[in-house]
Amino acid sequence: MSHTASKIHADKAAIFCKDEDRVNWHSKALWLLREKRDRAASSLPEWEQLRQLGSEIKLHTLTNLAKYLEMFEQNCQANGIQVHWAKDAAEHNEIVHGILSHHQVKKLVKSKSMLTEECHMNPYLEERGIEVIDTDLGERIIQLAGQPPSHIVVPAIHLKKEEVGELFHEKIGTEAGASDPTYLTRAARAHLREQFLSADAAMTGVNMAIAEKGAVVVCTNEGNADMGANLPKVQIHSMGMDKMVPNLDSAAVLLRMLARNATGQPVTTYSSFYRGPKAGGEMHVVIVDNGRSNMLKDKILAESLKCIRCGGCMNTCPVYRRSGGHSYNYTIPGPIGIAVGAQKDDTNSIAWACTLCGSCTQVCPTKVPLDKIIHHHRRLKAEAGNLPYGKRSYMPVVGKVMGSAPMLNTSMAMARTALRILPGSLLKPFAGAWGKYRELPVAPKSSFEAWYKKNRS
Amino acid sequence: MKIALFIPCLVNQMFPEVGVATLELLEKLGHEVILPEGQTCCGQPMTNSGCYEDAKKTTLKLLNAFKGVECDAIVCPAASCLVAAKENFHEFDNSPEAQVVIDKLYELTEFLHDVAPIAEFKKPFPHKVSLQMSCHGIRMLSLATPSENMSLQRHNKVEAVLSQIADIEICYPERRDECCGFGGTFAVDEGAVSAKMSKDKAYFHYETGAKYVVGFDPSCLMNIDGMIRRQKLPIETRHIAQVINEAL
Ligand code: SF4
Repeated sequence: MSHTASKIHADKAAIFCKDEDRVNWHSKALWLLREKRDRAASSLPEWEQLRQLGSEIKLHTLTNLAKYLEMFEQNCQANGIQVHWAKDAAEHNEIVHGILSHHQVKKLVKSKSMLTEECHMNPYLEERGIEVIDTDLGERIIQLAGQPPSHIVVPAIHLKKEEVGELFHEKIGTEAGASDPTYLTRAARAHLREQFLSADAAMTGVNMAIAEKGAVVVCTNEGNADMGANLPKVQIHSMGMDKMVPNLDSAAVLLRMLARNATGQPVTTYSSFYRGPKAGGEMHVVIVDNGRSNMLKDKILAESLKCIRCGGCMNTCPVYRRSGGHSYNYTIPGPIGIAVGAQKDDTNSIAWACTLCGSCTQVCPTKVPLDKIIHHHRRLKAEAGNLPYGKRSYMPVVGKVMGSAPMLNTSMAMARTALRILPGSLLKPFAGAWGKYRELPVAPKSSFEAWYKKNRS
Repeated sequence: MKIALFIPCLVNQMFPEVGVATLELLEKLGHEVILPEGQTCCGQPMTNSGCYEDAKKTTLKLLNAFKGVECDAIVCPAASCLVAAKENFHEFDNSPEAQVVIDKLYELTEFLHDVAPIAEFKKPFPHKVSLQMSCHGIRMLSLATPSENMSLQRHNKVEAVLSQIADIEICYPERRDECCGFGGTFAVDEGAVSAKMSKDKAYFHYETGAKYVVGFDPSCLMNIDGMIRRQKLPIETRHIAQVINEAL
């Protein structure tokens, strides 16, 4: 157990919480996005209807996924796109490497892809002599810092501008001590432009794949997907098979919500539709399963595949905002990260990194029932004997005590007495985390039942 | 009406005054109130942790306490226990008798708003109160439209009930329905994050300048109270039943 001990969510979160100023700043920055989202969403009187529609579109597609995937493949091929299927991360990486080595690619520019993070593609390609450059500003920052993303939409949200300034000074030669965001962004742009011009192939993630058209949609704010896709000869788009939508109309419904729910923008600055290779070029789409069809088999878990990756649930999540994305041990953090990552979590802790407050479910544009899914994960884990360490020992005891009125009454009476007569300092260590941070409740002399017997019967 | 009280274990053992206030206020409103025997916990601590097997016996014991009890409604002064009871009863027993019990379950505020509204408050409550819009009551029981929801039709049953009291001043903390960080065993298992959430919540309530934090969920109030006292903030927690009872 000891080698995984430090990976437990609560332990990692506790480290993040030690710097309270940073927690406050992190929590506020993300809450600001939640507030922008509220304003943007409330500007559409039909918002709640859109959510309902979005949920139904995704459910419909997932229920008929085989049909739409087939339709998509055929239409892609008709458009001159080469379609590949990967059952897991390893296959995905091999396919991509195959395409790249066929064209003797030395440098790949990449944008907007949590999927390649999920597949750990960068190190795989780098080991094989291919340089991979992330081109979104945020993604480039964490790539230079050698860190994984901590958020799916704002991947470097955990870094302050001063820290970015230092990093840029070291890696791309900006002035020492400079932290002005405009200056840093300009420097990054110039740096990235060189990368675009010298790349041999480009890769992007996919926000939506349109079955009826054989097209993929990529949303960015910096236009970097277009820069990448339009410059080199080879373009690759990797997508989870859950990204499918039936037609343009359904894509339009989701596009109206995606950016609004993410950052409060009416729509992302660039929403690019790719439906065929450029003249003389090649376009590839890699469709990845990697556990998704397994999730589809469980009715509750299946709904996590309705997610359109807006990040709204992270921004509203009170736990995520105070524990940071890196505490989740998974590429995707926060509520949706638990929903899609709990099965892969060998620490068996992230499913419990949630108060089940339900804010995420209410904020989600496609009505992914996140709290229900997280609760369900706990049940699956418990049934498989994978409770977190502490719970394994105390839950059966709690169950027994609570189930027996005499036992409950006796133990609570003892606790009340203890709370009343023992000094707090003696009790606090026993009351664990509660007593460490809070005052223990002031215990009453008797229970309500006892009062009732005396006064009403 | 004839009302059976559902007094969850936390209220019974730690907050008898909330039980007393609930009973007294319902009696003042002219209802006949009974307390069915043999009530224990709703099983929430176990089911929330995923331990359904450990919860079963407890939950069924509570359900049995209400089965066959003659009454018009079963009223509970704790939103999250009520939500858990409803869900767990359903989970472990799908008999028609269980459904009869489930259909009669009401959280106190819900009952006072939807079923038997208060005609008149006799006394004023001349204080500023900061409402604690606890998660389960808001998002699972729909006591108010959650802040995430953009429906054009909005409601707030808690405010609707309290605002009829003379001289009461109602306000809300910043991030009005953000979770207080209790989450049952979460407070123990995820101590640091839970504590930070509770600390923020306590400060947001304090910053309103209110005299009381008023809520409908004793567990959240217990959590906030523990943090208020640790941080030595000049504000106190009160259950909605206590405020209503004082004003009747
Ligand atoms: S689960 Fe919903 S809110 Fe969270 S990222 Fe996905 S679509 Fe957005």
